[in-house]
Amino acid sequence: MRTAWIVYKKEITEILRDRRTLMAIGLAALATPIVLSVISQVATKTATQEYTIGYSGDIPTGLGELLSATSLKLVPVSDPAAAAMRQVDIGVAFKPGEIDEYYDPSRQSAQITDTRLRTVIGQYSAAQAAAALQQRGIDPGILTPVRIVARPLTSPVQAASNAFLSFFLPYILITMILTGGFSAALDSSAGERERKTLESLLLTPAPRSRILLGKIGAVTTISLVAAVAAIGSMLVALSQVSLPKESGIGHIAVSPVAVPVMVWVAILIAVSFSAVTLALGTLAKTFRQGQAYVTPLYFITIFPASIILFIPDFNPSLAYYLIPILNAVLVLRDAIVHNAVEWPTLVVTSISLVATGALAWFAALRLFTREALLTRS
Amino acid sequence: MTEAAVAVERLEKTLGKNKVLRGISFSAQPGEIFGLLGPNGAGKTTTLRIICTLLSPDNGTVKVLGFDTRTAPQEVRKRVGVVTADIGVYPRLTARENISYFAQLSGVPHGELKRRVDGVIERLDVGSFADQRAESLSSGQKQKLAIARAIVHDPQVLMFDEPTSNLDVLASRDVREFMVESKRRGKCVIFSTHVMHDAERLCDRITILHQGQVVASGSTAEVRGARRDLEDAFLELVGEVSRPSPGLPPKGGG
Repeated sequence: MRTAWIVYKKEITEILRDRRTLMAIGLAALATPIVLSVISQVATKTATQEYTIGYSGDIPTGLGELLSATSLKLVPVSDPAAAAMRQVDIGVAFKPGEIDEYYDPSRQSAQITDTRLRTVIGQYSAAQAAAALQQRGIDPGILTPVRIVARPLTSPVQAASNAFLSFFLPYILITMILTGGFSAALDSSAGERERKTLESLLLTPAPRSRILLGKIGAVTTISLVAAVAAIGSMLVALSQVSLPKESGIGHIAVSPVAVPVMVWVAILIAVSFSAVTLALGTLAKTFRQGQAYVTPLYFITIFPASIILFIPDFNPSLAYYLIPILNAVLVLRDAIVHNAVEWPTLVVTSISLVATGALAWFAALRLFTREALLTRS
Repeated sequence: MTEAAVAVERLEKTLGKNKVLRGISFSAQPGEIFGLLGPNGAGKTTTLRIICTLLSPDNGTVKVLGFDTRTAPQEVRKRVGVVTADIGVYPRLTARENISYFAQLSGVPHGELKRRVDGVIERLDVGSFADQRAESLSSGQKQKLAIARAIVHDPQVLMFDEPTSNLDVLASRDVREFMVESKRRGKCVIFSTHVMHDAERLCDRITILHQGQVVASGSTAEVRGARRDLEDAFLELVGEVSRPSPGLPPKGGG
C-alpha cells in the first residue's frame, strides 16, 4: 500500500496546484447558494405577486374584499375578453348568477389567477349558500354531508421541506461528485499520456494496480471535497434563505438519519465515479478526448437524479436498487423523506455501487496494462 | 567475458500488422556504450521498450543482468533507467518533487531518499532549478530532469532513446558527457540513435538494425571497416538491404 500512498500524495499535490480542479470545487461551493437564492426569490415573488382581473358588470357584494385579500386586483374594463389577451391576467364579466371568465391558458399568470379566482368564488358561493340556509333555519352542515378532517403525520412545512431536499440533495451530491472529480480524473489518466509521463511511470517497478489505486483514491478525495463544499454551502444557504410561508417550505433542515446515509452513499458514488472516469480517461490520448468520453456520464447521472422531480412518489421494487445512481437517489430520498434507513435497500445499493466501482477498477487496470496504451498513436 | 548486462536472443515482435522485429540478437556489457543504430522505423524503440518490459516479446528472450523480462519484469525495472526524446515531466511538481516521486516508486528506501535525490541533483547540476516547477523549465533543463529521475535509483543499465533529438547543442553535449561518465562508473549504456556522428564518437560497440533485422554488429571500428566514417558504412549497409533482394522481407515499419 506504500506505493498507492506515494501516488495518492503526488496526485493530490498536483490536483491542488491545478486551477481547473480548484475552480470546479469553488464553483460547486458557490453555485448552490446562488441557485437557492434565485429559487427563493422566484418563490417569494410568485407567492406575493398581485394579479389583475379586468372586469365588467357589477361586482357581487363582498366578493371584491375577498378577491383583494387574495392579491387579486380588480380593474374595470370595457371588453374583458380583449383585455385578457394582454392588458390584464384574466377578464371576467359579472352577470346575475353567472361569471364569464376569459383567459389565455398559455400564460402562466392567467393559470395562477384562474386558480385563485376559482378558490375565492368557491368560498364565496359556500358562504352565500350557508347564509341563505341559515335564514331559512336550516343547518348549513347539510351542504357538506362528509367532512374531511386532516391529521398530517408530519407538519406540512416539514413535508414540503423534505420534498424539496429529496430532489435537490441527491441531484447536487451526484452532479458535484462527478464535476469535482472530472478534471482530476482526466488529468490523472489522459493527462499522463498527453504530457508523455505515462511511459516513465510504467517503467518504475511499482505495481500498476497500486498506481491505479493511488489515483482512484486521489480522485475520490477531490470528488468528496467538491460534494462536501456543495452540500455544506447548500445547507448554510438554506439556513440563511427564508422561503415564503405561502410556498409551504419555510425552514429547511436535513433529517439526522439522512446525514450518515448521505456520507456513506457519497463515498460509494465517488469511488465508483473515480474508477469509471479513470477508465474512460485511460482510453483517451488527450485531455480533450477524455472530455468527449466522460461527458455522456452527465446525462446518464442526471436522468436518474431527475426522476424524483418528475415522479416524487416513485416506489420501485428492490430490484431497481441494483441500478447504479438511481439506487443512490432513491436511498437518499427515502432517508430524507421518511427519516429512516431501509436496510435492505441500503444493502442492495451498497453492493451495486461497490460492484460498479470494482468493475470499473478492473477495466481501468486492464487498460493500464495493455501494450496498446503505449503503442497506439 | 562477464555476464552480459543485456542479452537479446532471436527477438521477434509484431505490432498491429507490422512485423517490427524479425529475430534480432545482440548483447551489451557493463562498462560500455552500446549503440543501437538504424533509420526511423528500424525497430530500435520497440527493442528498447521490450528490454525495459513495457512491451513483451512475441518470440525470443531478453535478459537484463540475468533476469528474464517475461518472468521477472519488476526485477528488470529496478535495474533499468530510460531516457527518451519525449521529455515527459509533471509540470505542476518542482524538479525536486519529480525526482523524489520516481525515486520512491523505484523503491528507494525512505531513509535514503533525501541523500539520493540531493545526490543526483548535484551530479546533474540541477540545483539552480531544483525547486522550480517543471512547467517553467527549458528543454535542456527538462532533459536533465528526465535523466535525473531515470538514474535516481542507481540502475545498472541505462538506455537512451534518441535523447538529444529535441535539444540544442549545449544540452546535447551535457547528455553525451553524462553517457560517457556513466560508462566510466561501470554502467551498461545502450544508446539508440540515427545520428552516426554521435554513435561513432561515443559507442564501443554497435548493432545496426534495418527493417527489424540486424544488418551489422561489432565494434565501431569493425563496422566502419575501410569506409571513411560510420555514416558511409551505415548508408552502404542500409542501402544494400533496401535494394530488392529475394532473400529479404519487404520493408516494414517499427
